[in-house]
Amino acid sequence: MIITMSAGVANDDIERVRKRVEELGYGTKIFLGEKKTVIHIIGVTHREKLIKAVESLPGVENLIPILSPFKLASREFHPENTLVSINGKVIGDKNIAVIAGPCAVESEAMMIDLACALKEAGAQFLRGGAYKPRSSPYSFQGLGEKGLEILARARDKTGLSIVTEVLSEIDVPLVYKYADVLQIGARNMQNFPLLKTVGRFNKPVLLKRGMSATIEEWLMSAEYIVSEGNQNVILCERGIRTFETYTRNTLDISAVPVVKRFSHLPIIVDPSHASGDWRYVKALAMAGIAAGADGIIVEVHPDPANALSDGKQSLKLEVFGELMQGIKRIAEATGRIL
Amino acid sequence: MLVVMHKDATEDQIRLVCRAIRQMGLKPHSIKGAQRVAIGITGNKEMVDEKALENLAGVLNIIHVTQPYKLTGREMKPEDTKIEIENILIGGSKAVVIAGPCAVESEKQTIETATKVKSAGADMLRGGAFKPRTSPYSFQGLGEAGLKILTKARKETGLPVVSEAVDTEVFSIVEEYVDVIQIGARNMQNYSLLKKAGKSKKPVLLKRGMASTIQEFLLAAEYIMSEGNYNVILCERGIRTFSDFTRFTLDISSIPELKRISHLPVIVDPSHASGKRDMILPLSRAAVAAGADGIMVEVHNNPDKALSDGPQSLTIGGFEKLIKELKIIGKAVGRTI
Repeated sequence: MIITMSAGVANDDIERVRKRVEELGYGTKIFLGEKKTVIHIIGVTHREKLIKAVESLPGVENLIPILSPFKLASREFHPENTLVSINGKVIGDKNIAVIAGPCAVESEAMMIDLACALKEAGAQFLRGGAYKPRSSPYSFQGLGEKGLEILARARDKTGLSIVTEVLSEIDVPLVYKYADVLQIGARNMQNFPLLKTVGRFNKPVLLKRGMSATIEEWLMSAEYIVSEGNQNVILCERGIRTFETYTRNTLDISAVPVVKRFSHLPIIVDPSHASGDWRYVKALAMAGIAAGADGIIVEVHPDPANALSDGKQSLKLEVFGELMQGIKRIAEATGRIL
Repeated sequence: MLVVMHKDATEDQIRLVCRAIRQMGLKPHSIKGAQRVAIGITGNKEMVDEKALENLAGVLNIIHVTQPYKLTGREMKPEDTKIEIENILIGGSKAVVIAGPCAVESEKQTIETATKVKSAGADMLRGGAFKPRTSPYSFQGLGEAGLKILTKARKETGLPVVSEAVDTEVFSIVEEYVDVIQIGARNMQNYSLLKKAGKSKKPVLLKRGMASTIQEFLLAAEYIMSEGNYNVILCERGIRTFSDFTRFTLDISSIPELKRISHLPVIVDPSHASGKRDMILPLSRAAVAAGADGIMVEVHNNPDKALSDGPQSLTIGGFEKLIKELKIIGKAVGRTI
């Protein structure tokens, strides 16, 4: 159950509701929003009794029963789309967000040259891993803080906002200093201490779907972040594990309309990890936008054959240019802007 | 192995190469491309002795096909296969729309639905007369009476008809009435049925098995083609995954993959892939955007009363809206709908 309080409500009124709810034996979580204050009531067993107890208290505007297991991430709670603002760019409105860059930050010269070219081709965000979760402990693990510094310099040079992954809660303050969007990778989708930590920071979070997570589990992970106070969560479908092995993963295209229906959070698609093969990235990006996604995140490398990671699924710059043309046409056909 | 003929090779030269292949105890498949004829060879257990063939008149060169599928592969035929059904072309620049009820329930329901989908812009009519249902107690279809109704609907609307042949026993009856024979997902590896379809003169719409890999799918198509029927339409209809919100998971990546590996046309069935009416539009859009040659959707004049697949069937109004939206996406990817 969610209680919304009327605009400009007094602290005393909030306190009174909180006390009354806790007397009934339920937990509360209070969100002091800019426009509205919301009280989330946890563990409700006797709904009628609760409604009677609080509905006429001063300041109470509305009581919303929420049936889905995710509450704050649900559309029942927040019928309008959430718009996530990043340095003046918005994800979740009519604009299609394009996040592009290499799998990993490899060197400063490469990163800056590539960032300039991506900006020129129309990308608004730069991706690049400084901390890499690699399947093998012997693979390249990323440049660490040095990689973050390079990303920050690429931002200074191009104005592109930075999306980069944070692997553990210990690293959050450091990555926070450099990044514009904190990425939680697929392997960490249910790393609950990490989710809670990024939930307490005021930077948008890009939450990738775990490779064997159901949509409900994924939205519950988003709930972990939102319930800590950070409502700027962007969901990212990146393919699930199936018996089919021609592609690295199987892009669950249906997840896009399903998430849009049950949640107000923006959703983007990662065709690079979904396919694992650069030859299919453009078609999947176009399909993602056609299905209603708010953007894409793609891997681009100036020289995929010599990339330190994910070379097989990275696009050359010219192919990225073709992809941009393709999704631009689809965006226009679906009433979106790129 | 593949014998590629010169682009000015004569009919006689082609015939002689085919005869030489037959004399080796193997089977030739002469397939006409845009530029030249290629002759696929099947039936060999070991490497074919190419010396016997390379010096024959009209032979340009001999290619060893490395993939397990031979006739379905693009090595065999680099350009897209286009299948003509009445005046409809599947695999051309127009993305085709096959629409109709899950099952033929009555004459009134079928003709009413057919007339309405036709005026909304459908190219072909679907409808099951023989139904492979999960439960033996569910409605199994009207059988031959259903096929007769479909024929009437075709007469009334001019829409060519697609209907499923569920086993070898009913195959000939279905073949007699329909324009395209459908092999369902559950029968994708029913090899005797595939071979039977391979001997038919009518095009076959082959659905992907719900737990089949791309390779198994193409090998099933190969069964049909190796018997001499080269008109196979592939249909992606969702695979079984752990994600249970939708009935199946539409494997959207299979479209660009199949298009790259094979020359056969690929269509998408968003109705079975999702099992949910409100997901048909976004999935159909995605399919056309990813390069599919068409879609096959379930439409019912009264979905709430449908004898099967009601929750995933579009209403007539929903279908009209779908066509309108697809025309816009089609334009964005250079295709007409």
